[in-house]
Amino acid sequence: MHLRFSPAEEAFRAEARAWLEANMPRTPRPTELGARAAYDQAWQRRMYDSGWAGIAWPRAHGGRGATLMEQLVWCEEYARAGAPDISTLFVGLNHAGPTLVACGSEEQKAAHLPPILRGEVIWCQGFSEPNAGSDLASLQTRAAVEGDFLVVSGQKVWTSFAHVAQFQELLVRTDPEAPRHRGITWVICPMDAPGIEIRPITTLTGESDFCEVFYDHVKIPLRNVVGQLNDGWRVAMATLSFERGTAFLAEQVRLSRRVDELVALARATPGPGGRRRAIDDDEIARRLARARAEVDALRAMTYRSVSLAARMGVPGAEASMIRLFFSELVQRIDLLAMDVQGAPAVETPASRWTELYLAGLSQTIGGGTKDIQRNIIGERVLGLPR
Amino acid sequence: MDLTLGPEETAVRDAIRNVLAERLPLARVRALASAEPGIDEALWREAGGLGWFGLGLPEAAGGGGYGAAEEMLLFVELGRALTPGPWLGTVLAVHALAGMPALAPVLAGTLCVALIDDPADTLGDGARLTGVARGVADAGAAEGFLVVGAGAVRYLPAAGLAVEGRPSLDPTRRLGDVRFAGIAAAPLAADAAALRALATLLAAAEAVGVAERTLEDSVEYAGVRQQFGRPIGSFQAVKHRCADMAVRAEVARSLTTFAAVALAEGEGAAPRHVAAAKVLATDAALANAADNVQNHGGMGFAWEADAHLYLKRAWLLEHALGTRAAHLDTLAAPWRRGE
Repeated sequence: MHLRFSPAEEAFRAEARAWLEANMPRTPRPTELGARAAYDQAWQRRMYDSGWAGIAWPRAHGGRGATLMEQLVWCEEYARAGAPDISTLFVGLNHAGPTLVACGSEEQKAAHLPPILRGEVIWCQGFSEPNAGSDLASLQTRAAVEGDFLVVSGQKVWTSFAHVAQFQELLVRTDPEAPRHRGITWVICPMDAPGIEIRPITTLTGESDFCEVFYDHVKIPLRNVVGQLNDGWRVAMATLSFERGTAFLAEQVRLSRRVDELVALARATPGPGGRRRAIDDDEIARRLARARAEVDALRAMTYRSVSLAARMGVPGAEASMIRLFFSELVQRIDLLAMDVQGAPAVETPASRWTELYLAGLSQTIGGGTKDIQRNIIGERVLGLPR
Repeated sequence: MDLTLGPEETAVRDAIRNVLAERLPLARVRALASAEPGIDEALWREAGGLGWFGLGLPEAAGGGGYGAAEEMLLFVELGRALTPGPWLGTVLAVHALAGMPALAPVLAGTLCVALIDDPADTLGDGARLTGVARGVADAGAAEGFLVVGAGAVRYLPAAGLAVEGRPSLDPTRRLGDVRFAGIAAAPLAADAAALRALATLLAAAEAVGVAERTLEDSVEYAGVRQQFGRPIGSFQAVKHRCADMAVRAEVARSLTTFAAVALAEGEGAAPRHVAAAKVLATDAALANAADNVQNHGGMGFAWEADAHLYLKRAWLLEHALGTRAAHLDTLAAPWRRGE
């Protein structure tokens, strides 16, 4: 066991750090959605032009083809520099793109992978439905084969950025008679197809990045099906483990910095009772120290997971434990920030800390609730009976 | 960077685990505890012969040539097996006595040493030690004492010291009060801060062992114990509790491993990682051991079942080498001073 990075990895780190320092956007990301998407796309294009786009993507598909250790180093440096998270481009770069790499036809790869890497297109995800959340395989959005088309009718929900996206990775039911995991198809849906209606949903944060998407006899060419008809569940699962090992690295470096900022806040804010600083309150000081310890533990877990994946060649089951620990740790830190800031927590416009607290409530819902994560750990890691 | 066990590290871990499983099943641990001196002298000599006490000592000094990472592996196994006896003091004494004639019997496992952690120098910081060290783990079994003060490390043979032994909350571990009546004891060359950091790491490692072992016991029981016609592990209430135990054990194991490697490599932030590891490993040991009692239902509450032994050992570990609150205060101190 050792913590040293190889000379080649250190050289890679220096290169990444220098490039990020020289090229990272210095203006804050705009709040208005259209402007925000344009900002993300311009930054992605800049990374593409310098060979930093698709760090984990294979070289054959235009990516950097970095080793697992290099991916780890890149994520650390990216977050350390304070570079913007990929936000509106997340689904394309981290989900739809890798799915096409794994399961797409040559034609589909050629058509879609380059524009995703260049930041030219925004993708959204059409998985969840009003009656298919944690139980995704119960999805009901129907697609019938008519000639060379799939004709889709139904509804999706919790679709981030649907109103600015050009494409959607869409799961539809193509065989209602088959066992539920076997009648699903994964298809590329152009968001400008006639019959699609998008309604933004305002979340508890007051923002509207989420949408409902309605499909009324939407015609999608059969050539947009990825993998085989009725094989969509396997296609969707193929990329669930993509970037698992390093998925939370950038976020955890940000979380580490958030603890530093929270310490600074606790030194500048009156504590309970108002007579001394928040940092002089034993309970707050110990909660901050525990948060620091837990963020360090998160890094140690990720390092262990990445080194295990590097040794074994595949991500291990511990990724599900990292995911659960991360999401609950974010919420503990957010809650601590609410306590440290005191009464300003309830003023409007909401402070950054209050915004983080509210947004953080989704950490244990999106991408599999914490309850589902505990099922996964219990059954797949520990081998407990279903 | 690699935080997984390599082939050699795996071999070290497996060898230790196999010897402990064979020589020290829990029935043997219970039997040992009921009689003085409370340790297995044959196992002690065997461990000496296998080089366990000198794992972290350079080969030139008679050790195994490994470091803090391998010593951590040893203490995880000791925690898993609820091993009785002053292992921590003996391993630290090997470091403190390196190069001295007194090292040989300690290294060979013919002389065991208990640790007296005295960070506030309550026994004095001069040429003589005066006062009573209370609640010293395994004091009755020890043939020597390593006193780690604020800045100085001293070694004293047990002969000539008054030791009052007594049982502790943990039936597998005895405590003792050691009386020093102005005993002359010259400081050794060893670095007290470095020894205390290593001791804290190894106590954390023992807690990791408790957290892992209780998780495994719970998972095994939840898979076989039937109620309502199904294994109780199929119920989410039990399954999710086991999942939380698994996360705690993973957190504790990862951070303690990271801290061990950082310490072995002399990284500047290593003491901070060691303190953090002690906090989270103790959290994991205490919470997992209590959950393991719960998962075993009525049996978990019975003296004859083993679940309570792990919980009680976890409490002894909380009070060894700094409580969680003390370590958290240490971690927060620079923020309060304005650093």
